[in-house]
Amino acid sequence: MAYEIILPKIGFSMNEAVFSEWLVADGGTVKEGDPLYAIESDKSTQEIESPASGTLRINAEPGTTYQVGDILGTID
Amino acid sequence: MSNYPKPDAATLVKIYEKMELIRQNDERAHKVVKAGRIIMPYYSPRGQEVIPSAISVSLTAQDYICTIYRGTHDMLAKGVPLKLLWAELAGRVTGTCKGKGGPMHITHPETGVMVTTGVVGSSMPIANGLAWASQLSGDGRVTIANFGDGAANIGAFHESLNMAALWKLPVIFVCQNNRYAEHTTFANSTAVERIGDRAASYGMPGITIDGNDPDVMYGAAKIAIDRARAGEGPTLIEAMTYRFNGHLLGDDGHYMDKEERQRAIAADPVARLRKRLIDEGALSEADAVRIETDISAQLDEAIEFALQSEYPALDEIRRDVFAHELA
Ligand SMILES: Cc1ncc(C[n+]2csc(CCOP(=O)(O)OP(=O)(O)O)c2C)c(N)n1
Ligand SMILES: [Mg+2]
Repeated sequence: MAYEIILPKIGFSMNEAVFSEWLVADGGTVKEGDPLYAIESDKSTQEIESPASGTLRINAEPGTTYQVGDILGTID
Repeated sequence: MSNYPKPDAATLVKIYEKMELIRQNDERAHKVVKAGRIIMPYYSPRGQEVIPSAISVSLTAQDYICTIYRGTHDMLAKGVPLKLLWAELAGRVTGTCKGKGGPMHITHPETGVMVTTGVVGSSMPIANGLAWASQLSGDGRVTIANFGDGAANIGAFHESLNMAALWKLPVIFVCQNNRYAEHTTFANSTAVERIGDRAASYGMPGITIDGNDPDVMYGAAKIAIDRARAGEGPTLIEAMTYRFNGHLLGDDGHYMDKEERQRAIAADPVARLRKRLIDEGALSEADAVRIETDISAQLDEAIEFALQSEYPALDEIRRDVFAHELA
C-alpha cells in the first residue's frame, strides 16, 4: 500500500508552508529517515526526513503553498 | 554525596530500562509528528532521562507526580500506560483524558500522574495541595513536583516552598535545570548560581546535583523521599541536566551554544549508562538488545492503537468539566 507523505505541523503557529524542493527525484528510491524534502515556514527552511522506504511519487511542486495535512506525494 | 545511598545493579538496570523507554518514545514522537500522522506541540525531554528514572524507582505506584508540558519522561518513568499515553497525545477517545486533554494535559491518577500543566510554575502549588491531602488523610504518599529552571523564578515557586516547609508537607521539589527557558539561558535569567541554595530561605534542605548521574540522582531522591515519608517535610533538589533539542519540535535551537550542546549530546546519559552496565557485567549485550526490541514493539503497538482510535464526539466537549453536568 502506498504511504502518503503528509505536510506536518512543526511549530506552534504553523498552518501552511511553501514547498521548497524535493531532495530525491520522482521515481527515486528513498529510505526511511533520510532527508526527503524541504519546506519554508515561519521564515525558516526545514528539511524533513522520509517517513518510509520505497519508491517516491511526487505531487508537490516547489514554490507552491500547502496546508498542514496536504498530501505531498506517496512512497510505494 | 559520598554518603548517599547507592543503587544496586538490579536498580540500575531498572533505571536504564526507563531511560531507554523515554529515549525511544522521544524518537517516535519526532517521527510521527514529522510524518504528519499526529498534530501536537511536542516538547522533547531528551537529555533529561536520568532524573525521573532514578527518582521513580524509590516511589510506589500510589505516590504522586506533577509535571509540565515537557513531561513525557516524568510520566513514562512513573508508569503511565503507553497505549493510553499515545492515544491522548493523538487526541483520541481512548486516551488518558478521553482525548480532551492532549499532550499538555496528560493525567492518569491510577499511576499517580496527577497533573501535566502548561502554566509555568503551577506544578508546585498543585503538588502542595496533593501533599497536604496526604498529610491530612495519613495515606503515606509523597508527591514529586517537577518544574524547570525558568519556573523557579515564578512567584508560585517561592510561595509553595515557604508553605511546604511551614507545614512540613510530604513533597519534593525537583527543579530540572536544563539551562534554557524557551530561548533564554539560565545565566541570563537568574541572579544566583544555584537554585538549590534558595532552599535556605524557606528553612528546608536544598541541594544542587548532577541530574545526569544516576547514582547521585538516585541517592539524593531516596534521602528526600524517605524524609518526606517520615513526616520530616520537603526538600528542594536542583538536578542539573541539558535540553538536547530546541524548546519544542520545529525549533532547531540555533540560539543554543553549539559547543556546549555538542558536549552534552556526546555525553548522552542513556548511552553512557548502557555502556557502564555492560562493562560492569550487570547487563549482557544480548539483554540490552532484548530490552530495546521489547520497547520498540510496545511502541509500535501503542502508536498503532492510538492512530486506530476515534476522536471524541463533539458532544463530549462539555462533559467532565464540572463534577455535575450542567444542563
Ligand atoms: C505563566 C507562564 N508564563 C510564560 C509561559 C510561556 N512559557 C512556556 S514554556 C516557558 C519556558 C519555561 O522554561 P523552564 O521552566 O526552564 O522549563 P523547560 O521548558 O526548560 O522544561 C515559558 C516562558 C507559560 N507557559 N506560562
Ligand atoms: Mg528549562
